Amino acid sequence: MPGAPLEQLAQASGRAFPHLTRARAQTTEGLIACRARLQALEHQADVSVVLMGSWGRAELTSGSDDDFMVLLAGAERAQVRPSVEQVQTVLDRAPGDQGIFGAPVASEQLIEKIGLERDNNSNLSRRMLLLLESVHATGAQVHQAVRAQLVDRYLDHSVKGFRPPRFLLNDVIRYWRTICVDFAGKEREGPHKWGLRNAKLRTSRKVLFAGGLLPVFECAWLEHAQMPAFLREQFDMSPTDRIAQAFLSHHAADPGGRALGAYDDFLGLLDQAAFREELEGVTRESSKRSDAFGEAARLGKELEQGLSALLFETSLYPLVREYGIF
Amino acid sequence: MISPVLAESPVLLSHHPLGVSTGYMDDLRGEWEGQIERARAFSPFAVELSALAEDELPGLERYLQSAPALPFRYLSVHGPSKGRVISEAELAGRLARLSVSVQAIVMHPDTIRDPEPWRALGRKLVLENMDARKRDGRSAEELERWFAQLPHAGFCFDIAHACSLDETMLAATELLDAFRTRLRHVHVSSLSHDGHHVALSEEHEELFVPLLQRCLDVPWILEAPPRET
Repeated sequence: MPGAPLEQLAQASGRAFPHLTRARAQTTEGLIACRARLQALEHQADVSVVLMGSWGRAELTSGSDDDFMVLLAGAERAQVRPSVEQVQTVLDRAPGDQGIFGAPVASEQLIEKIGLERDNNSNLSRRMLLLLESVHATGAQVHQAVRAQLVDRYLDHSVKGFRPPRFLLNDVIRYWRTICVDFAGKEREGPHKWGLRNAKLRTSRKVLFAGGLLPVFECAWLEHAQMPAFLREQFDMSPTDRIAQAFLSHHAADPGGRALGAYDDFLGLLDQAAFREELEGVTRESSKRSDAFGEAARLGKELEQGLSALLFETSLYPLVREYGIF
Repeated sequence: MISPVLAESPVLLSHHPLGVSTGYMDDLRGEWEGQIERARAFSPFAVELSALAEDELPGLERYLQSAPALPFRYLSVHGPSKGRVISEAELAGRLARLSVSVQAIVMHPDTIRDPEPWRALGRKLVLENMDARKRDGRSAEELERWFAQLPHAGFCFDIAHACSLDETMLAATELLDAFRTRLRHVHVSSLSHDGHHVALSEEHEELFVPLLQRCLDVPWILEAPPRET
């Protein structure tokens, strides 16, 4: 019985991933505890509490926040149970400012309002995080059903077999570019946590992007009818499993071991309070003097080199060339 | 930006990043700006600045101290293995103080006597496997001892050196199997009968491809001018 793709990659590449493995175990344990606490709250049948970020990537470390959304199947309404405030009282590390998740998220908004002005940054971010890095804390069926509906929306009549679904491909790329542009926008607002945000852009954000991009390219080997089940299965896996599987499928186990090995090292460092605190305090001006930032940049570069090799120097390259830019 | 002389070498041409070592630029020895210009004309992405003889090091130090604007995204320095006079501690210290933009210091393990001062280079230190003429650092077994003493060092896979041990490439495969998680960059060339790096031959290119395919994510540095088409 083969293990998860990450385990298979560890075996094939000779590179262990101790920090990712530990983070996965912590995520599993944390989910059990989290679910037990949340189940005490009154739940409407069409509501799911969905965890994102480190939880969704199965990369829980000591500094992770409890990023969550209250997901509502269907249209917006006034009374939603549990409320965002109720969930906040139960989770230990829920951000005080819920930002774009300060109100329940209606699936109709996510699924039916893709593109045009109504699809603002918040809607795009909510939709992509739900699709690419989320896990249910409660309401498993609601979470699964909404994600399946979202996949179906992307795989509409415009999609052809044996080529990547462009609608989804464009939205995944759009999201990544939005993150990068927003990083620059935030920097102009002030240097707060510049170093940590920059380090995450080089690492976990890239994992999020690649974990979305690769399954979309892999659709090029499938008939249209096979794509929904394939994508649902892919998005049920963590992003690092999706990436590990792609490295294995395209006979690039060694580069895959080094790429995810670098990410594993980063995760291990991020789990150390001193490293995280140093990164949080780094600004663009002080970054050249920061060992922590230098190390994060180096590891981010190794991750990027591996992902670029996978995309541009394996059998994926013709697909990237054909569909990745235009 | 890749030189057209590689037009008939699709395996190399399709790799990124690809760069050259300045070590083969004998006509520009000591002229760092000229070496850089020639390397940049080949590829602005990766380069290895070679101070293979110890007396080349002061010039390289001065050049890098002048903080030149360099386009390369990967910059390595090949440390001295010839004409060594100064102590290992001083040499390791001077190499460690080179510009922060230097990402790797490549050293021949058979020129290291005391690993202690080299530990200060940490991950920046990269050990290269040696050719069959040398007495140490050639095989996976011999290199393992060095990595045991320098656990943070990376691995520079010199594929021509490995081929000189065994043209079946079994020794090369063993090296890559043993140190693949440490791999930082690859030296690509063929070797002449007297052990000098020469342009990668078509025959060697074909022989090397299966192993190079395992090194797609790291810079490849050509240690000799590319062959003419």
